[in-house]
Amino acid sequence: MQRSIRNRRYFMRQKLTPWLILFLPMFFTLWLKYYPILKAAYISLFRYDPVNQPGTFIGLDNYKAMFSTKYYWEAWQNTFVFLLLQILMTFFIPIIQALFLNELRRGKNLFSTLYLLPTLIPTTVNVIIWRWIWHPDYGVANQIVKFFGGKEQLWLSDPALVKFCIVFPGVIGGGIAVLLYLSAIQGISQEIMESAALDGCTGFKRIRYITLPNIRYIIFIQLVMAVSTAMQLLDVPYMFAAGGPSGASTTQGIFIYNAFQVDYNYGKGSAAAIILMLVVMLMTMIQMHFEKAERE
Amino acid sequence: MKTPKKQETFKIKGDRGLRITAWVVTLVAMVFILFPFFMTISNAMKDNVKIYDVPPRLIPESANSLSIVVDYDTQNATEETMRNDMLKAFYGVYTKLTRESIFEIKFYGMHENQVVFFARSHQTQLQMEKDYGIYKGMVLNEKTLLYKDRPARAATKLGYSFNIEGLPNTQAPKSEGKNVDDLVLPVFEGKFPLTGVPSRFVLSKNSLLLLENFVHYMKLPQYMYAQSNPTIAKYGFWTFSGNTVIVIGFAMVSQLLLCSICGFVISRLLPPKQAKFVLLFFLGGMMIPFVSIMIPQLIMYKSMGAYNNYAALLLPFLYPFGFYVYLYKGFFDRIPGSYFEAAKLDGASNFYLYTHICMPLSKPIIALVALQTFLGNWNDFFWAWLVTERQDLWTLNVALFNISNNTGTKQNAMMGIAFITILPVLIVALLFSKQLKASIISSGVKG
Repeated sequence: MQRSIRNRRYFMRQKLTPWLILFLPMFFTLWLKYYPILKAAYISLFRYDPVNQPGTFIGLDNYKAMFSTKYYWEAWQNTFVFLLLQILMTFFIPIIQALFLNELRRGKNLFSTLYLLPTLIPTTVNVIIWRWIWHPDYGVANQIVKFFGGKEQLWLSDPALVKFCIVFPGVIGGGIAVLLYLSAIQGISQEIMESAALDGCTGFKRIRYITLPNIRYIIFIQLVMAVSTAMQLLDVPYMFAAGGPSGASTTQGIFIYNAFQVDYNYGKGSAAAIILMLVVMLMTMIQMHFEKAERE
Repeated sequence: MKTPKKQETFKIKGDRGLRITAWVVTLVAMVFILFPFFMTISNAMKDNVKIYDVPPRLIPESANSLSIVVDYDTQNATEETMRNDMLKAFYGVYTKLTRESIFEIKFYGMHENQVVFFARSHQTQLQMEKDYGIYKGMVLNEKTLLYKDRPARAATKLGYSFNIEGLPNTQAPKSEGKNVDDLVLPVFEGKFPLTGVPSRFVLSKNSLLLLENFVHYMKLPQYMYAQSNPTIAKYGFWTFSGNTVIVIGFAMVSQLLLCSICGFVISRLLPPKQAKFVLLFFLGGMMIPFVSIMIPQLIMYKSMGAYNNYAALLLPFLYPFGFYVYLYKGFFDRIPGSYFEAAKLDGASNFYLYTHICMPLSKPIIALVALQTFLGNWNDFFWAWLVTERQDLWTLNVALFNISNNTGTKQNAMMGIAFITILPVLIVALLFSKQLKASIISSGVKG
């Protein structure tokens, strides 16, 4: 009898200890990560009143009102233009860099280290450098344009050009992506390469028909990640142009920030935050799905 | 036998074209990647005037050092006169000879053929004093320079030595090199008349002076914020570095500890179904984008009093990041079960299993998680910027952003401070590049 109680106690302890250990980490995750988003979902249903929280319940009116404003859709449009520019201008550059880096016989190690440098430059420093390059009066950009006989531009102060200027620093490529592609390329089995060489598939043909198809999964995953990152664009456009000029660089992130900190419309801001989270979650799910598919 | 031979030559031919292209592409990419660094350094080494030259020069001009030797008769040979003359000489040259790249000015006061007064100043130092210090926002001339206690304060700050018996270790320069009387003399006719008699000026080249710029750029935060903030007055630029180290260090320690414990529990102590649930609970947090929760989080933190203090900066790292928990779990899963069974037979507790089996084995993953945390937070800006108003809480990124948004900041100082910020990290990254690369590749995706 006593023994069975002791046994039961022992098993209870065995069962309970993990949860006791996990209690704090899980509590902190709930508190610091899940609670704010639930709160945002909750606030988005109210006409928020900071004094008598949470204000009057208005159902989905915040969402309806937001969907009918032009500014909100412009923010989405800007976000998608950013995404499109990023994919057209910068996305493929690390792939090319990795493909050709892999062809080098010597210096692979050194160059792959140097390719890492752009990762180590914080956005703030990058913004300082590039704002000076785009400076209409003293910058290098206008000098180059003038050299080729073009007209001087206002760059970051021109609504038509601001998105291009913000995305353009990415054309130097490099970063983590190069390393990921490179390791994927090196992971292609040697047998495939050898048999391809025997069939006369060499040089550029090998890249086109063997290497690229073999790394298409990681390219796709990177693409999904690029989409998800572009949806969350906040600090880069904010630091470059603070959402301006005349709203031309206002992304979803800046829209949410402005709704809270400039308009003090907490309901609208929360509604936008929830919609954005759903989009990002969708992207993450797609990414996870394909990562799983690749592993199998 | 002919065909394979032909194929072989074909292979070499095809590959050679590719290899040449590969070199060209890689080298061009290197030029693009190194260009921003090059531009930062080059701009930081230009002076206040030349940085606005159109078209901009890629390589800064070499620096000059100007020595000014002034004679004093017995009546004038007092510390005060010489000190005032020194300021007039410094700022006269600074404001009038802007195109000559004079980065260093040395002032020698002579009395009875002996050097009795010596002072030296760097151009950037004078620029800071003019932009933020004692002479902030003034039109410089003899009157403004010597108003009330200003000369005493400025001279003490710039530094000088005086001894009426003669300074034993200081020799006045012989008049060699270019004769620059025509250039320098007009400076002292008009706004900046000297009391003593200027006897000779010597101009010499010394490009090391360009590097000294960086020493003075480090003092920029002190010049900008010292009056409003005692911590910055004391530690200057190091305040921001210190904050960055505190934030990233705390993030590393808390992530390593929390994630390893959670990973251990999930991997070893929980039955599979519960383990999966807990893992998904942690991973789910990753799906919530920062953009969506930043303001609700800010409101919550503010109501808890975690605003404008270290709590606000550090609290966001106090929960385990799902991705690292996942990495740890996968790592602990791969430790052979026999290790644990053997220890358990000897009556080892869970705590013992964690500290004596898991921890010693997990060196590689510690490096991985630590480096990922560093890469993830090194670039972190928005949150730290949202929650800090006090300057002594700023991290490097926040400080750089705020300094660069201050319209009074000169571009060369801006570039200099940006370069100082990234330099240590670049060096460390190059030293540990092997581990860094291994960590990035094995983590697969950005954290």
